[in-house]
Amino acid sequence: MGVTGVAVLFRGILTLANFTTLYILLVLILAIRNGTRTALVGSVVSFLCINFFLVQPYATFLIADPRELIDLIIFFVVALVVGQLAARTRQQAQDADSRADEQKRLYNFTRTLNQLATAEGVYNTLTDTVQRDFGAARAFSIPTAAGLPSPASEATSLGLQPFPVQTDQHLYATLCADFVAPPTPDTLRILNTFAAQAGQALQRIDLTERARKSEQFEQADRLKTALLHAVSHDLRTPITIIKTSASNLSRLGDTLSTADRREAAHTIEQEADTLDGLVGNLLDMSRLRAGAMTLHSEPNSLEEVAGDATARSFQRTQQGRIRLDFPPDLPLVSFDYGLLLQVLINLIDNALRYEPAATQIILRGQMAGATEAQLCVINHGENIVDDERQRIMEPFYHGKGGKIGLGLAIANGIVEAHQGQLRVEDTPGGGVTFIIALPTFSSSTTEANPK
Amino acid sequence: MKIKVLVVDDEPQILKQLKIGLQGYGYEVSTAATDTEALVMAAQMQPDMIILDIALGTPLDGIEVCRRLREWSTTPVIMLSIRDEEKTKVAALNAGADDYLTKPFGMEELHARIQAVRRRIPSDPGATLRAEIRVGALHINLINRVVEVAGEEVHLTPKEYDLLRLLATHPGKVMTHRAILTEIWGAENNEMDHYVRVFINQIRKKLRENPEHNIRYILNEPGVGYRFVALD
Repeated sequence: MGVTGVAVLFRGILTLANFTTLYILLVLILAIRNGTRTALVGSVVSFLCINFFLVQPYATFLIADPRELIDLIIFFVVALVVGQLAARTRQQAQDADSRADEQKRLYNFTRTLNQLATAEGVYNTLTDTVQRDFGAARAFSIPTAAGLPSPASEATSLGLQPFPVQTDQHLYATLCADFVAPPTPDTLRILNTFAAQAGQALQRIDLTERARKSEQFEQADRLKTALLHAVSHDLRTPITIIKTSASNLSRLGDTLSTADRREAAHTIEQEADTLDGLVGNLLDMSRLRAGAMTLHSEPNSLEEVAGDATARSFQRTQQGRIRLDFPPDLPLVSFDYGLLLQVLINLIDNALRYEPAATQIILRGQMAGATEAQLCVINHGENIVDDERQRIMEPFYHGKGGKIGLGLAIANGIVEAHQGQLRVEDTPGGGVTFIIALPTFSSSTTEANPK
Repeated sequence: MKIKVLVVDDEPQILKQLKIGLQGYGYEVSTAATDTEALVMAAQMQPDMIILDIALGTPLDGIEVCRRLREWSTTPVIMLSIRDEEKTKVAALNAGADDYLTKPFGMEELHARIQAVRRRIPSDPGATLRAEIRVGALHINLINRVVEVAGEEVHLTPKEYDLLRLLATHPGKVMTHRAILTEIWGAENNEMDHYVRVFINQIRKKLRENPEHNIRYILNEPGVGYRFVALD
């Protein structure tokens, strides 16, 4: 109307061509801002306005000059075409925007899903997203129960919108959402895509879990073979010694010298200890392998557990063959004291076996960066060959020491159960260094200064 | 007069060997194989010491027997447990047991524990009357609150001293983390286990413990608590 008003003021000065150009501009703007329908209405209104106000005779829809009639008709056609073209361009731009937005949401959603390791996490993320980003008043997933029909029809009858959480092979669950306002077909399409993505994530988790289980079975199988081997060789030895000593005592007890009797009894006691150690190790091993070892992790001092293991070694060997090297400011680390003590005892046993008589093994505590605490068991024997490096951690590996190779496998298993790593490195100048690397406990608690 | 010991275990072979072994150390030994038998015997013979297996195959386990016993008896109890049962050990101590021993154990060790528990008993009720504690190079004067190592005075903060005194006045006895926290920091702090570890660490350094040569005063009982070494 404004345009028409201005145009009327100038209708004495300007020609019809000026006005039509002006109105085409107007239609173009309307088309870009408001779309197809407005552009169409704009074209018609413009046509009428020009006809009524700007073409002689004024204030009628009659046209005096036939050339002006032609101009006006051309204007109308051009306005229509320009309007529709501009509106379509606008629509395409909008579509592209909303697709980009949709892609971004889908990408974020998929990225979140990929980081999840549990089905529960996937369901929670899905329902949260539906509620947060799509304005559902309420959303929940009903897992597919074997033998029951999909709950989709039931959900629909309750006024809920169902979305299948599925892959090509399997319907995992049905997401039911309760929308305040009925969702647009676009929203429904996007939500179906989201549900399908959740289905993919569930399939991935499912497959990972199956792979892990079959890996466990394989390991268990290998362990069983090794175990049979160990039972026949390593457990029989102490049993045989106990049996012969005991039968000697019961049959020949009276005729044996006091020293021999004492010796036999002492042997029985010692071999019983060996047997107890082996049984304990086997139990630990099977529990570790079955993932059944429960950690009682608490903030603990590495120096304390190292000192404990050192003192126990002294009690056994009556020799000070270990040197402790700990900085005064090493923070507390979260670990199971009893289990880490076991790890250290095993590593110390192993290290002492190869340590030259003239030197001491070193237990060193240190930080590696801000998030890893290390406890190193350093010996100065021979370097380990690369081929052995991996195999020494396997259960029942018989190294040069000849003893049953459970100690290192258990140490490794326990450290891994703590989300840590047991690494093997060369000691500079010869020897082997075992590094127990543990993630540090959250700093807030270790630095808390109790009064 | 011989010390009377009641041994309770459901495994006849173990019962027999413990009897032989303890008699060898000069104790007067009687045995019980079930929960009811244990309680009846404890009432009838008034033993000086009870050795009680935790895993009795009877309706009441050892811990429950100990709890019932504590309703009317102060006779010291040493529980027998198997490895890796830290929770059970704590439960046994909370039920009123004086100590525990992990199977398998040597007779010498059992004898030593019985001796340690018996030494502690007369001084346990009420305040400790001991004025000073000596073990190795460590000397604690409880009256002046002075701690010395090899004749040199050690400076402890009040909390460190309280913690050391609590442990040292119960030599050989396991103090659970919870008991220590409640005693030193108050009941409201009894979840803050790491307080104890930080303080124990500081005390160890100040007392110049030297694990490289097995010189220690405070022993860690994994998953259970701390034990001050038995006195000389």
